[in-house]
Amino acid sequence: MTNIIFILSVIIGAGALTWGYGAQGHAEYARWFFLLGTIWLLAKWRGWKWISPLALLIVIASAAYGLWINISFGWMMFAAVGGLLAWDLDDFSRRLSYAAPSDDIIGMENRHLARVGIVAALGGLLGFIAFVARIQLPFEVIVGLVILTILGLTRLITTLRKD
Amino acid sequence: MRRTLFLSIITYALLLAGLATLRGDLLALCLPFALYLALGYLCAPEEVDLEVERRIDVERAAPNIPIIITLTITNRGADLEELFLDDTLPSGLTLHSGSTCSLLRLAKGASHTLTYTVSGPRGGYVFETLKARATDHLAVASREVRLEAKGQLFVYPPVTRLRQVVIRPRNTRVYAGNIPARVGGSGIEFFGVRAYSVGDPPRSINWRATARHVDQLYANEFQQERVADVAIVLDGRWRTNEFSRGHSLFEYSVQAAASLADAFLAQGNRVGMLVYSIYFNWILPAYGKVQREKILQALARAHPGGSDVFAGLQHIPTRLFPRHSQIVLVSPLNEDDLEPLIQLRANGYQVLTVTPNPVSFELSFLPKQKEVDLAARVIRMERALMLRKLQRAGVQVLDWDVTHSFDQVVQRELRRVPVWLQMQGSLK
Repeated sequence: MTNIIFILSVIIGAGALTWGYGAQGHAEYARWFFLLGTIWLLAKWRGWKWISPLALLIVIASAAYGLWINISFGWMMFAAVGGLLAWDLDDFSRRLSYAAPSDDIIGMENRHLARVGIVAALGGLLGFIAFVARIQLPFEVIVGLVILTILGLTRLITTLRKD
Repeated sequence: MRRTLFLSIITYALLLAGLATLRGDLLALCLPFALYLALGYLCAPEEVDLEVERRIDVERAAPNIPIIITLTITNRGADLEELFLDDTLPSGLTLHSGSTCSLLRLAKGASHTLTYTVSGPRGGYVFETLKARATDHLAVASREVRLEAKGQLFVYPPVTRLRQVVIRPRNTRVYAGNIPARVGGSGIEFFGVRAYSVGDPPRSINWRATARHVDQLYANEFQQERVADVAIVLDGRWRTNEFSRGHSLFEYSVQAAASLADAFLAQGNRVGMLVYSIYFNWILPAYGKVQREKILQALARAHPGGSDVFAGLQHIPTRLFPRHSQIVLVSPLNEDDLEPLIQLRANGYQVLTVTPNPVSFELSFLPKQKEVDLAARVIRMERALMLRKLQRAGVQVLDWDVTHSFDQVVQRELRRVPVWLQMQGSLK
């Protein structure tokens, strides 16, 4: 089940990028995204662990760039959510491989798929709402957000140094 | 942790990009990632409070026999959504069936049993801890603990039951046993004739001697049989045990030492063991089953090693062995070992050398070539000469061709010859 959803997620992630870029007349990029999706699926089959994070990074960077060059937000959001799902499920299936045959694999699989599905759907929905609502943020809120980001980044750098 | 870090970097990068460019759509793009992280942290596992019990079905096993290991993990804390258990196998053991890892959901108060089968070669194996990592469903936040789950497993060397091993140390102990004590008394072997004294059984009267002396009765006296002190020295030096292509005679030496220790202890003797390798491992002499266990545990842990200090046998600490006791050296031997062994004999110890034959052993895996055969003949002659010198010095030698079973060789070479056969031999 996890593998099927993983394949669907890769198709959604890479497919949304391909479609979005293709529809805007960037066919040369679209071909590369199609290739990315194929490699991601192939990597799963071959067991290359490092492809998944790299592919997610490419998908997110491409989605951000797509937004910058005014490609439809819907496709880019689909790509980001699809990429996130595929990356998560690839890691989950790897964790699941450690489970003993006597463990409740199907139960864990179902619970994980339900939760990650809800997170993806809710995240996507929130994104769409945020995009559609177009709330004009006052200056103070933006300053607050910047401070929050800086605090978060400081925490992240501290963690990175500890590691 | 890496997952969290990776996702955090993506989220912050999008957030920064959105704020820097004042693009709301970029900020909106980071929302699924932020939600993923937030939910992960919200559902982070609380304190991991697990109780582990390890059960090993046998604590002492023979080599390469499957041994079942069962771990019972009980959750004393809150529900754990995703718990990954990983039991580390001590090096040397091989997983036979089952799995040392498990991924499960463990509710509060629930228990889980992890069972697997291992097997391994001779050795002493210590199980220390079980690694448990609890994470939320999205594996964002995790807590890892090492739970104490101690266990010990000994894979003993194979012990061949030896029916009889005849030794003749100069000194014996006071307790009755199987070893002729060179002292007159009750026993089996004839010792001498002495004047009859009141209390001697009439059947002990030597009628021939009495017939020659009309005024005095004479009685037969037999040799007393007692237990003795035996020190087994296992040679674990690389230079004598290791051969080309990873072949080693050490396992045979260990098997011989284990079988001899078992036989001597079964005869009631006081047995000590010295493993002469990279360092000394001395098991103090003692009697009985407990001592058998101690010796087998030491043999299970014994490994060959190389050291410049203990390169020769001259460093055998003779002070550890009781005076005039029996020393049994188990070693493939080397030409340099001749002098120290003769010295041991000169110091009054009765020395028995059990020597797994390195020539026939090495020849068994070398290619059949003319040059190899010639070399084998030369080395065999040199070895025969060395063993003969040892025998001339009074050292008892048991040359063991390892292609034959040890008990057969001992039965042939170290058995007690019946008196009537000894007499026949002397008549011839």
